[in-house]
Amino acid sequence: MGFGKATSSSKAMKIIETEKKISVLIVEDDPLIQKIHKVMMTKFGTEVQVVANGKEAVDLYHSGASFDLILMDFEMPIMDGFEATKELRSMGVTSMIVGVTSRSQDSEIQAFMKSGLNACYVKPLNAEKVTTVLNELKNN
Amino acid sequence: MEVVQMQRRFVEYAASLFREGFLDGQFTQLQQLQDESNPDFVVEVVSLFFEDSEKLLNDLSRALDQQNVDFKRVDSHVHQLKGSSSSIGAQRVKNACIAFRNYCEEQNTDACLSCLQQVKQEYSLVKSKLETLFRVSARSLLLKDKTNLESGFQTSFSKSDC
Repeated sequence: MGFGKATSSSKAMKIIETEKKISVLIVEDDPLIQKIHKVMMTKFGTEVQVVANGKEAVDLYHSGASFDLILMDFEMPIMDGFEATKELRSMGVTSMIVGVTSRSQDSEIQAFMKSGLNACYVKPLNAEKVTTVLNELKNN
Repeated sequence: MEVVQMQRRFVEYAASLFREGFLDGQFTQLQQLQDESNPDFVVEVVSLFFEDSEKLLNDLSRALDQQNVDFKRVDSHVHQLKGSSSSIGAQRVKNACIAFRNYCEEQNTDACLSCLQQVKQEYSLVKSKLETLFRVSARSLLLKDKTNLESGFQTSFSKSDC
């Protein structure tokens, strides 16, 4: 792509980097959506973990885990997507957090974005939305 | 020959479901996710949808049967059903849920009951059509396997050293 010739050692590093899978945390309480999103993200070559509510996501980060991308549902029991995102950001988490919600009103999406999301999509996820998210992730 | 006919029947039946609005592009997304590592993905997801929906429809009937209807609860169930039907591409069920939610907001019990009937009808229709689709698909796969098995057996038999 016109970056000039790489030396053999940086070329090797580049190969290693491209082989490292993007890690994704799916935060979603509905088992049906969990299944669909997990298979979809796996198909795109990412490493996927699933938790059922915002508190489980926060606990994971407290225990030292980290992910490149978090797909955060809005409505969940115990701790919803808004609270979980706020909490993660206040912990200093810089992972890309993308809201995934069934709420389609602009006002509802803007409200969810205020919790600290990088982006927000209306459910269901499809190949086009996932491609956009992963491209944004790779460009940052 | 029979295999091709079965496959064609499957394709035509699937196309009719899209044409009649029972299924939308989201169902196609699910089909595209199915592969050798997930050979039964579509059936599994749709089965989950059937289980969830039946429970939600029962919950809705119960909620609307109360003396004092809790419309927030009703709305929450409809919201969930809308979400799951939309995630598998069951377009007509999803649309029926959207209409339903408007009446929940108005707290109109009679209108809600009528919407519930509508949703139940659409669900029942899409369920029977999907079950037919899977039956046709399974038969075409069985036939395909049977044909492959027979031709494979003939090939290996003729290649074997006697």
